[in-house]
Amino acid sequence: MDDLAIEVKDLSFRYRQTTHAALSHVSFSVPKGSFFCIIGGNGVGKSTLCNTFVGLIPHYFLGKMDGDVLVNGQSIIDQSIADLSSQIGLVFQNPFNQLSYTASTVAEELAYGLGNRGVAREEMVTKVEAVAKLMRIDQVFDQNPLDLSGGQAQRVAFGSTFILEPKILVLDECTTQLDPMGADEIFAIVKRLNNEGITVIMVDHDMERVAEYADQVLVLADGSPVLQGAPAEVFGDPRLADFGVEPPDYAAVTQALAKRQLIQDKLGVTKDQAAALVKEGLNHAD
Amino acid sequence: MQIDLQDLHFGYRPEHEILHGVDLTLAGTDPIAIIGQNGAGKTTLVKQFNGILTPTSGHVLIDGQDVTTQTTAKWSSKVGYVFQNPNDQLFLDSVRKEFEFGPKRIGMSSAEIKQRVDQVAELVELTDDLDTHPFDLDDTQKKFCTIGAIIMMNPDVVVFDEPTCGQDVHGDHLLNHIIQHLTAEGKLCVTISHDMKFVSQNFKRVIVMSQGAVQLDGTPEDVFSQTATLKTCFITPPPLTQLAQTVGFTATPFTTDAFVRAFEEERK
Repeated sequence: MDDLAIEVKDLSFRYRQTTHAALSHVSFSVPKGSFFCIIGGNGVGKSTLCNTFVGLIPHYFLGKMDGDVLVNGQSIIDQSIADLSSQIGLVFQNPFNQLSYTASTVAEELAYGLGNRGVAREEMVTKVEAVAKLMRIDQVFDQNPLDLSGGQAQRVAFGSTFILEPKILVLDECTTQLDPMGADEIFAIVKRLNNEGITVIMVDHDMERVAEYADQVLVLADGSPVLQGAPAEVFGDPRLADFGVEPPDYAAVTQALAKRQLIQDKLGVTKDQAAALVKEGLNHAD
Repeated sequence: MQIDLQDLHFGYRPEHEILHGVDLTLAGTDPIAIIGQNGAGKTTLVKQFNGILTPTSGHVLIDGQDVTTQTTAKWSSKVGYVFQNPNDQLFLDSVRKEFEFGPKRIGMSSAEIKQRVDQVAELVELTDDLDTHPFDLDDTQKKFCTIGAIIMMNPDVVVFDEPTCGQDVHGDHLLNHIIQHLTAEGKLCVTISHDMKFVSQNFKRVIVMSQGAVQLDGTPEDVFSQTATLKTCFITPPPLTQLAQTVGFTATPFTTDAFVRAFEEERK
């Protein structure tokens, strides 16, 4: 299908030397240009799934895989990690798992992927400078990436992924070490790229953020999809708590107000939606 | 147990000062949260509490005694620091050994260690993983392993450095439970966090740092209602507080119940 960025087909995976399947019979698809969020408790298979999108599974992490994942219509089985890296980029949860460990400065780290692709030096310099500025890491340009704070390292990890200009961006809890405003700033960049047509797949525990950005939300529990839909559908589902997920505070508060008939019976999952409902409820009372 | 910081200055390099004269007293058992932007000096500050770092000028007093008069290893039986990155703290080949290491070093009896291992493992939910290699734990469990290893030493003050990062709902609840448990035992918990929801619901005192200095210090209600100062410190209030501020409420609610009450108040 030409309009799908990712197609997961009856995918199961069990890591080598483990007895429990990390993923079992997972099927869903991500349309091109969408902002797709995957949520669920720790250990339900979210990161495993992300690893399949970029080919780390089955090519790097060993185990038993059944089913398939198509990236832009092509199976991950038939493509190497390097082939896939020209289409899809993954920003890891722990930036120190992503750094190349061969670069002695942040600038070299950012240039690493371009170097592997044989990009001309002049173009490389321009791109590295632009990305460093975008991610606001130009101050630490000459520092060793391993000496950076967690937040700065996450910015470098983002930069080294953005610089390769992937058409699909996979973000695996990638702002956990950034302060809230730093995270907002990164997501503003991600949203801009999404508006420009980049497909974004995001794993995150911050449900307010998921509700703000996602057009589709997939809930995983114990390696299998259990709910899927637009944020308002998923976060209004009474079964959500059974899957170890709490809805955004905005959803909980609009539900509570509606139950007391203080506002109209609608779910506000984002701050703007909730604010509109609350304001209307207050005016109505006058 | 009281920690006093007196005009504390610190820099890793002399020409680049990070903390610019911090005066602060930490006492009692009400849990304290320290918040602020990346690079505000939060970790650098808390590492002064037991002498992992020592001031370039000014003083840190623990129950009146200057921190520089004893080694960190000695202070760690009074003030424990849980590292931000578990990989900076863990180095032994089982959770049990991580738990036993600190207490042995401070001379705790083997009977007490044995008893505490079971209690602490239960508290941090690692009972079934005591003989697991810490590097075989997932990232969340690793964090709880580092927390357990510090609690094992039974310090009067426990400092957590960003314990919420990467936690799911269950992890957040467990952290909350651990803090409540320690507080009930008479310990003082000091926690650095970026999770404002967690901070507003679990702490009685919130200290805001920015550019190496304390900018705000008060109850969550005090702190999160100071929108102008928070902005200059690059802090966004918790979601429901933001919502209340957007719709112009006078109250500063953090929970659904508090928000509903505030709504009813505004309607009058």
